[in-house]
Amino acid sequence: MKPKHSVLLLILFTGLFSCEKDYKSITISTDDYHNSVDKLTEIMVHDIFSPPVASRIYVYPNIAAYEVLNQNNSTYKSLNNQLNELNITAISKTDEDVNLKLAAVIAYIDVAKELVFSADRIEVYRDSLYKEWKTINPNEFESSKTYALVISEQIKEWMNADKYSETRTMPDYNIYTDDESRWEPTPPAYMKGIEPHWNKIRPFVLDSAAQFKPKTHPPFSLKKGSAFHNELMDVVNLNNTIRAKGDDSEEISIARFWDCNPFVSVNKGHFMFAEKKITPGAHWIGICKIACKQTNSDFEKTVFAYTKTSVAIADAFISCWDEKYKSNLIRPETLINKYIDLEWAPIIQTPPFPEYTSGHSVVSAASSEVLTKIFGDNFAFNDTTELPYGLPMRQFKSFKLAANEAAESRLYGGIHYRAAVEVGVDQGIGVGTLVNSKVSFLK
Amino acid sequence: MKKINIVLASICVLLACENEEKTPTAKSNFILNKVTSEDSGIDFSNLVTEDAQHSIINYIYYYNGGGVAAGDINNDGLSDLFFISNTGENKLYLNKGELKFEDVSEKANIKGNSSWNTGVTMVDINNDGLLDIYVCAVSGLLDFEGHNELFINNGDSTFTEKAKDYGLDFKGYSTQAYFFDYDKDDDLDVYIVNHAVHTNLSHGRAALRNQREPLVGDVLLNNDNGTFTDVSESSNIFGGVNGYGLSASVSDFNNDGWDDIYVCNDFHEDDYYYLNNQDGTFTESLAEKFTTISRFSMGSDAADINGDGYQDLMTLDMLPKNEKVLKETEGDDAMFNMQVHLNKLGYKDQYSRNMLQMNNSGEYFQETALLNKVADTDWSWAPLFADFNNDGHQDLFISNGIHRRPNGLDFKKYVSSAFKGRTENEGLEWLFNSIDEMPSGKVTNEIFEGNSKLFENKTGDWIINEANISNGAIYVDLDLDGDLDIITNNFNETAGLYENTTNGSKNYISLDFEYKKSNNQGIGLKAIIYSDNKHQLKQLYTSRGFLSSVDSKLHFGINDATAIDSIQIIWPNNKLQTVKNPEINQRLKIVYTSTNTIYNYDNPSNKTPYFKRENLIGYTHKEDNYNDFIQEKLIPYKISTLGPAIAKADIDNNGFEDIFIGNASGEPAQLFMNSGTRFSTKKQITFEDDKAFEDNDATFFDADNDGDLDLYVASGINEYKNETYQVDRLYINKNGTFERSENRIPANILVTSTSKAYDYDNDGDTDLFIGNLTDYKDFGKSVDSYILINNGKGEFTKDENFKLNSKVNSAIWQDINGDNLKDLLVATEWDAPRLFINTKGKLKEITILENFNGLWQTISTYDMDNDGDQDILLGNWGTNTKFNLNFDGALVMYYSDFDKNGKKETVIAYNKDGNYYPLNSKDELAAQMNIISKLYVDHKSYAGQTIEEVLRKGTINDAIKYEVHTLASGYLKNNNGNFNEFVVFEDAFQLAPITSFSELSINDKYQLLVGGNSYRVNTYHGSYSALKGLIAEDESNYQPVSNFGIEPFNSQIKQIETIKMKEKNLLIILSNNDKLKVYSYKN
Repeated sequence: MKPKHSVLLLILFTGLFSCEKDYKSITISTDDYHNSVDKLTEIMVHDIFSPPVASRIYVYPNIAAYEVLNQNNSTYKSLNNQLNELNITAISKTDEDVNLKLAAVIAYIDVAKELVFSADRIEVYRDSLYKEWKTINPNEFESSKTYALVISEQIKEWMNADKYSETRTMPDYNIYTDDESRWEPTPPAYMKGIEPHWNKIRPFVLDSAAQFKPKTHPPFSLKKGSAFHNELMDVVNLNNTIRAKGDDSEEISIARFWDCNPFVSVNKGHFMFAEKKITPGAHWIGICKIACKQTNSDFEKTVFAYTKTSVAIADAFISCWDEKYKSNLIRPETLINKYIDLEWAPIIQTPPFPEYTSGHSVVSAASSEVLTKIFGDNFAFNDTTELPYGLPMRQFKSFKLAANEAAESRLYGGIHYRAAVEVGVDQGIGVGTLVNSKVSFLK
Repeated sequence: MKKINIVLASICVLLACENEEKTPTAKSNFILNKVTSEDSGIDFSNLVTEDAQHSIINYIYYYNGGGVAAGDINNDGLSDLFFISNTGENKLYLNKGELKFEDVSEKANIKGNSSWNTGVTMVDINNDGLLDIYVCAVSGLLDFEGHNELFINNGDSTFTEKAKDYGLDFKGYSTQAYFFDYDKDDDLDVYIVNHAVHTNLSHGRAALRNQREPLVGDVLLNNDNGTFTDVSESSNIFGGVNGYGLSASVSDFNNDGWDDIYVCNDFHEDDYYYLNNQDGTFTESLAEKFTTISRFSMGSDAADINGDGYQDLMTLDMLPKNEKVLKETEGDDAMFNMQVHLNKLGYKDQYSRNMLQMNNSGEYFQETALLNKVADTDWSWAPLFADFNNDGHQDLFISNGIHRRPNGLDFKKYVSSAFKGRTENEGLEWLFNSIDEMPSGKVTNEIFEGNSKLFENKTGDWIINEANISNGAIYVDLDLDGDLDIITNNFNETAGLYENTTNGSKNYISLDFEYKKSNNQGIGLKAIIYSDNKHQLKQLYTSRGFLSSVDSKLHFGINDATAIDSIQIIWPNNKLQTVKNPEINQRLKIVYTSTNTIYNYDNPSNKTPYFKRENLIGYTHKEDNYNDFIQEKLIPYKISTLGPAIAKADIDNNGFEDIFIGNASGEPAQLFMNSGTRFSTKKQITFEDDKAFEDNDATFFDADNDGDLDLYVASGINEYKNETYQVDRLYINKNGTFERSENRIPANILVTSTSKAYDYDNDGDTDLFIGNLTDYKDFGKSVDSYILINNGKGEFTKDENFKLNSKVNSAIWQDINGDNLKDLLVATEWDAPRLFINTKGKLKEITILENFNGLWQTISTYDMDNDGDQDILLGNWGTNTKFNLNFDGALVMYYSDFDKNGKKETVIAYNKDGNYYPLNSKDELAAQMNIISKLYVDHKSYAGQTIEEVLRKGTINDAIKYEVHTLASGYLKNNNGNFNEFVVFEDAFQLAPITSFSELSINDKYQLLVGGNSYRVNTYHGSYSALKGLIAEDESNYQPVSNFGIEPFNSQIKQIETIKMKEKNLLIILSNNDKLKVYSYKN
């Protein structure tokens, strides 16, 4: 026993000493960044975050990474004083050893850890990376980490003042009502309305949650021939037509592809299961990744693209949710079950919040505006984002066409009236255009 | 090496010794001792195999297990046993005496041909004096084939399946059959309980129960000369796609001599209570007769457990007792939204716990499981009422356990996500592969000793406390030693046989019957035995509990009585037969002899009621849509539904008191003018203007000393969350028109619960006590209540010398020290009642008892102990409430900004075996405090955590701590002017919160009218509606109000008033969210 130990120790010591002398630099590739984003997505799916909350979880780590990279970059401009209330104390990168890409990943992970429930999962991921980097070059790692955390701490402070915490204790949506037009929880799980106070979250670029307040939807009426009733009947008829075509129809494929509902309840046997998926925001983050890889974008451009896309998505949710809980419009499923067909169910599950406007429409339109600006129009791509969730790939000729299909999918799915989709796209274009015009990412 | 070995050896020895000590020595401790299968020969196990196509994932009732039946199939005087195997072969054991059994399944030909067997009952279907066996099956679901089977007894311990010949080859999702004679033609008909499965439609409207669905709907089959035909439709039996029937209890619940049926339905479908119309039809009457029912109703049993001659009822559910299980699995908190939705679909409120429904003269049922602490026996299947210790009182056995808990929250959220994106079949395969992640649900069977008043848990004392899975269960005296043994059909385990060792230490009689040939067992008959100045009633049905049936004997324990005075038999044809002075400690066979004596049931409706319902005041209170539980998610009960307000006074000086009723937010208050014979509404413009206010209390008094009556209205929470509608109002009477005053009273935006007028400083003008319950946005805050001093001109200022910081529910001015000055008595919650003695206008608080905090709802005075002086009555929360289940120490409420986001919250913790646990589930806490989701990612890690662990010690120490030391209502006894002795009311007063004491004269005697109930609670509590109203002469002489012609109180009583009319008196019963009820009674 004894001799063996000594040998081991000896090897260990020699290993340590020998390393101290000539370290190579830590190489950080775009894949390291993509992997961190994917890791965050995976944990978010596990923890179950609603679409608006998920958009918040995506955006802050990206901003942290972006700011780490771009305090002094020749191409990209810091977002300091460009995003609402973001005031980072100017940092001059004094330490020669700082590896900015490395620091960007560290800052990303550090902020992400604050945002998820399963922080331990991020920690495991972080610690394995830290261990590896430390082995390669402890000095470079430590300097980069110190620099990263100086920025990420400030980002977190800014983040924690965005009213998220306050909105946690605000009242839930009131389900007691005599108003027939007012949204009520939907089958099968009858979950409570998600995030009724999301419009109180500080936006990033919007001057207020109501900046792109959409026009009002057709007034609620169950009178035959009224605009609202026509829209309701359109949902029923369209769904009947699609169903008649069968499960393999293009419309059903589209509806399922863009479902993006993070917590679908499935009734099986004794109980309801949850079928978990990514959110609409996550889907567009996935498209952003595809575009980055397809264009072989460098590390800086990759972080820029993620950051800008996630800012647009976050503001799109704030804008959309502002309207949702102002109009509080009832979902088609509720009305159809009540007045037309007791057994009717939409092709995809109705998500737990008011109808108007369509969140996916707003978010997709906003994302596509931003991505088009970054990667150009008519950017054809194969959308493989949903493959891990058992859905096939779809091909698109441009971001805008993808966004339009995403919006249309909500009609096919039977969870929205047409106005919510059409007006939602306009609302999203407004948000995306504003992000493109108001914030300068490039110098 | 050697040394180590020695140490190891000694450890082994030590362990061995310890083991030996801990093993319960056989047959010593328990009344019911387990007999091993080696000893008994009963080696049956209900072995259920699973695969991806056959498991709880595709069939909801895969773990419901099988039944067991007892009956003497070979007429040797010993009860034989039949066990159901879900997927395997059924077994029949012949009883050889002395608890030895012989497996005769092989030759008996009873193994069964159906894919999935469920319930079993023994019945002599062809009246040949030989018991036949009827086995239910699930068929037509998955790939299950077959039909219900009838094994006809060939007389040589072999059987032949002949269901089809009798029309009993029902094919569907059957659980159990109940043979009884509903139409009194002296043959046995059958009610077959069938169950639904989840489909989109089964979650639809309640009215779906009216559309009969093949396979799923329950059926009533009429015996027509030996052939059974379906009469469900014409008999008004529901058979809808939403009928998740799991058991029934047949009994003559209303003592009219005809058999009624209670059906337990699982999930959202209401249970059914069918009253027999005596003409071959039934009237479903659940909503009328029951106010609280089980949600996931499973097994049930009916018996007269309090000796009042009416059959009581128990239904089982699945509320866990174990703290870890409780927090790991989905509970009623998850039903908050769902319940609102289900109400809209037409379903009743239901709550996931066992219900013990005490039958009140067949008129209504009072639910008392929480008081009896029989509400939370976990995943429970069969309740059985029987006298296991022969002391003359019914005890209660409950079989328990489930193979895997399908309501595990972690499974739902984190494991089942494997389902994602796969085809249906692949997904099911995935789910099946992770099925072991569902928590195991082995739980001990439970037994409770009864004393005809309350049950007491005897698990671990009368019967071994051992986690297992028992589904079907029966009692039967297998060894003819005069006590009831228990047999359980266990899931994937050997069947349980518990030998009763009472063995003649107490006396008994066992009755066996022979009725007419077409129902020779006499099913449906009643036997009443009279001994020792008491009587016991039992009705004979064999199918009981869950999936199972007992033999056709009736067993009575009579404790130490040495004689039975008489036995009355009411045969199924309602003929009465009496047996005088039978010998005890024997099995007595009673043979029907045709007599002409028809048993005469008392018909209570023939008595002229003392109170008569009147239609004099048309008023219905409708609560508004304000929802407390979305404002502050962790509060235990609403503070916005304290109304309506009522005040009475003779405003127009015509000699008759008029009535003001203050409304819910959104509806104007009403003024009813009394002419002495009728009431007319008098419109008040200001009341219309102020309709946004929520009125909690009101007082007429002369504020401005001008000789007419003005009005103070105490405001509660308005629907619009608008602070301008939050303040109290003073209306000044100007020639009969009430005008809202300005600046006469301080603005009070707190939730005001009470306003009480009195000239406490004796200066010739009327002052007011204003009681506040809480801040409308801040439930946990203790708030100031105050006295308003009148300056003689109707301008009011607070009495600076009076301080009361608490949570006030109600108050009265009443002289309690005999100095003719009224003192101030205040009922508070999370605090002790507060008594202030009035000494010449100075109010001085006197202390009463230590550790006397309660949820005191109301306070009054009355001579409760009948000793000539006035005691102080205190209405509390009651012990028939969910808080009572975990009350091993004070209930605690912490109040602080735990998550430091600028908003304080309250967190309630209960004491269970000395430890404090959070009352709320992880999801509920996380909804208010985001940090909880980070501290506990899954439910498993949260389950079993103490409140100190959840909230972290440091934070807890910074929090304000409220306590409740007693939940019971009672009175402070007046001992020569001292009030330092608290006497707890009897159980009849503890059935719900008491909110109202009023005194009235009945038959020239002053009596106390007690009302209460609460619908303010959230789904964790359910609703408290078992206090149906009492009229009490004193603490031990009281009767239900229904004995006086007053409808039982099903609503949340606000206040009860009496008013004198020209010719009569009126009793006015005002409730929250209900119709105002008026009764007249003589002057």
